[in-house]
Amino acid sequence: MNGLRFRKTAEFDEEVYAVHPEDYRPLLEALKAEGYDYPRSLSGVDMGYGLRVVVHLYGIESGRKATVYTDLPYDAPELESVTDLWPGLEWFEREAYDLFGIRFKGHPDLRRILLEEDWTIHPLLKRYDTGGYPLPDWQPAPWPEPAPWEEPEAAGEGGEA
Amino acid sequence: MSRMPLPADRLVQPRLVGYDPTHPRPWLERIAYTLFFSALWVMVILAYGAVPALFRHYGWLSTTAGFLIYAAVEAVFAFLLAAVVALILIVVLRKYLGKVQERVGPMHYGPAGVFQTVFDALKLLGKEDFAPKRVDWLIFRLAPAIVFVSAFLLMVALPVAGGWVMADLNVGLLYIVAVSTLGAYGVVLGGLSQGNKWGLLGGFRAGAQLVSYEVPLALALLSVGVYSGSLRLSDVVEHQYGLWHVVPLFLSFLVYLVASIAELKATPFDLPEAESELVAGYNTEYSGMSFAFFFLAEFVELFLLPGFMVVLFFGGWHGPLFGLEPGSFAAGVLQSLYFLVKVAVWVWIFLWIRATLPRFRDDQLMDLAWKGLLPLALVGLLVAAFLRMFLEVL
Amino acid sequence: MRGPTTVEPVPGRTDELIINMGPQHPATHGVLKVVIGVEGERITRAVPHIGFLHRNHEKIEEARTYPQIITYTDRMDYVSGLQNELPFILAVEDLLGVEVPPRAKLIRTIFFELFRIASHLVWLGTGMLDLGAITPFLYTFRDREMILEITEKTAGARMLPNYFTFGGVRRDVHPDFFKDVAHFLDFFETRLPDYYALVLDSPVFQARAVGVGVLSRERAIARGASGPVIRASGVAYDVRKAEPYDAYPELEFEVPTRPEGDVFARFWVRFKEMEESVKIIRQALEKTPKTGPYKGKVPPRVKPKPGARYRAVEISRGHLGTYVVSDGSERPQRVKHRSPSFANLQLIPDLFVGARFADAIAILSSLDPVFGEVDR
Repeated sequence: MNGLRFRKTAEFDEEVYAVHPEDYRPLLEALKAEGYDYPRSLSGVDMGYGLRVVVHLYGIESGRKATVYTDLPYDAPELESVTDLWPGLEWFEREAYDLFGIRFKGHPDLRRILLEEDWTIHPLLKRYDTGGYPLPDWQPAPWPEPAPWEEPEAAGEGGEA
Repeated sequence: MSRMPLPADRLVQPRLVGYDPTHPRPWLERIAYTLFFSALWVMVILAYGAVPALFRHYGWLSTTAGFLIYAAVEAVFAFLLAAVVALILIVVLRKYLGKVQERVGPMHYGPAGVFQTVFDALKLLGKEDFAPKRVDWLIFRLAPAIVFVSAFLLMVALPVAGGWVMADLNVGLLYIVAVSTLGAYGVVLGGLSQGNKWGLLGGFRAGAQLVSYEVPLALALLSVGVYSGSLRLSDVVEHQYGLWHVVPLFLSFLVYLVASIAELKATPFDLPEAESELVAGYNTEYSGMSFAFFFLAEFVELFLLPGFMVVLFFGGWHGPLFGLEPGSFAAGVLQSLYFLVKVAVWVWIFLWIRATLPRFRDDQLMDLAWKGLLPLALVGLLVAAFLRMFLEVL
Repeated sequence: MRGPTTVEPVPGRTDELIINMGPQHPATHGVLKVVIGVEGERITRAVPHIGFLHRNHEKIEEARTYPQIITYTDRMDYVSGLQNELPFILAVEDLLGVEVPPRAKLIRTIFFELFRIASHLVWLGTGMLDLGAITPFLYTFRDREMILEITEKTAGARMLPNYFTFGGVRRDVHPDFFKDVAHFLDFFETRLPDYYALVLDSPVFQARAVGVGVLSRERAIARGASGPVIRASGVAYDVRKAEPYDAYPELEFEVPTRPEGDVFARFWVRFKEMEESVKIIRQALEKTPKTGPYKGKVPPRVKPKPGARYRAVEISRGHLGTYVVSDGSERPQRVKHRSPSFANLQLIPDLFVGARFADAIAILSSLDPVFGEVDR
């Protein structure tokens, strides 16, 4: 995990990793090697300033839980797929694509899963209201400074670029 | 019927019809269904006993014209009997399943629901009997007819009392086998003609199942024929005067039992109609009266196959005559009652099996037929042959 | 092993039949479309399509206040109504810092396990209906009726009661509650031998289920399978033991596991779970005081502190998780429901390919999906 840009905190009973999008996949590979073999969930979150992808992992043998998240800008929502590490995230990534528009590079079958094939919008984005109509005066919030993986944290460990 | 307590301040008081759960009347059910059974008995007496006796008494059978008229009248009665049998059995099946499943079954039409099937039949008659565009029209229309005619033809050979049979064929056992196989044609053709993959699969499975189970069935029937020395069904019944065939030919009986459940396409062998897998299999595109034909044929066979089982293995109509002269009309009436009671017991057992067991997968079904029943049927045939030789030597 | 994205007929091959096990089908436990390529009787390709019951829970819930969302959560896995409320409630309780009194925890646990039995009864009835046995369906729904009446007396509604809330439960239990539950447990224990005789011990059922649809341990873990599906493949993963919640830390119970991973094992595990639930409820009944607090102190306007929390519970189908992202206001930023059936259905290409067509039905019923929670 050296040389990766992430920040690790302990919240409740989990370890939470905030990671740079480019180091998302290397960090997850390292976590898989550490023994997090059970994929709990992968979800997209529209934070108002960008899109966040949150992965929840669990180690069957150790019982440890980890959460990894990364923030993506609205105009470039692309990330690498981790379906080859955990095949159980295949449909979760499809759902994140379907509802948020996050594209996962390397996914074997990235198409809409809950909505029909001919939908053009990704409805869970905050720019749309509950009916799927774009809100006329919605503006993305400014990106929080510093970015989550750069924040110097007294209690945190982990490498910083 | 509104004896159920309803709040008096309801603006609209609903009218309860059919069944008031606070006032169940089990005695009504028992009386209604006993009368139902008696109606079947009366119909059997008419079709198998009264009409032929009438024709014989007045000597009309000796002329060709008389015989043709007799055949036509008997055909009508046979059809009526088939209708009554199906009518009764469908409701009895539903009430029996209700009893097993802790509910009441049909209660709406007639006392305790006895006339349910009449209204079901009327409903089916009223439905549009259309054929989808892509079906092979001739075969589509012919298939239910073949199935129904096959069931109908089987009824002709069934002896219900001493001398009471519509056609006392001297090749009765062979006739049963031949006509059952005719029914299998109808099912396969029905599945094929639908132009629908689900129906196709249903037709294939049904055809394979029926044809596979015909073989042990035929061998079991043959064992009975060998043991009793005749293919005529009345002779088979006469042969059981001292000992019912089920005792010496127990193996053949078991084979016949399992094979006949498979021929009926009843659970655990109801894969062709497996609603949960193929929607309705070979029945999928049929509606209205065509569907009713398949349905009725199935229930007529539910009466006939246990009927033949009773004739072949359980002494047919034998029972104490209480001093009545055998061969007389009164004796015939009593003997037909014994026959119907035995058939009713076996129908009940078939329905019981249907209510309890899940269904077999098609390859397990085939394994059972070819690797299980067929060797047993052959052994049963050998046993029958040996016993026959043994008896002749004695 | 994954299937292709769509199942197209291969030109030149006439032996493969493409069949659409469509959304309306008596055996698919709900609205599922599986496009299957069949050669004779063997399945060669299977591609599941979901989304027919998508009701957009997650977007709607972003526009509702936290107590209003509890009503929506019920409706995901509608068969085990109350159980779905709990992970959301636990996540928000963590973010609020609310204490739940022990009596409330016990009451929640009792209802949780009652709904586990109710859900398994539905699964058993409909699963056996798929396999051709028509009678267990009526028996199981008769037994489930008793649970629904108990719930109706206390919570006001039968299937989707909206009874749990932040800090405990909404109202105290009905005075007849303890007597009714004890009566139900006694009655249910007399019914269990019948179910064993009709299902697990039936040779016809065993012929349909033993050795069918085998799921290996590694594949189950990698796919994120949960609940009876993963426990029938030898992995003793149960959220009640891994991340205990409510009254489970104080109760003694076992987690039934079976190594074979076939349809029979999944049926067996669910039977044993029903028995364990009976034990759990009996223990909890003894420990629950008849009077006392049923709800902790919760501020009138529920505004959790900003942050995110993922909590999971073990509902009848497996690991149900809820990820709540709060921005400090009355309405959440995001509520994500991770449903067990959604993850379990990813196993369809793995399990269907190579199986017989008639086995596909048995496999699907052993996975026990409920489409309310798959599609949300």
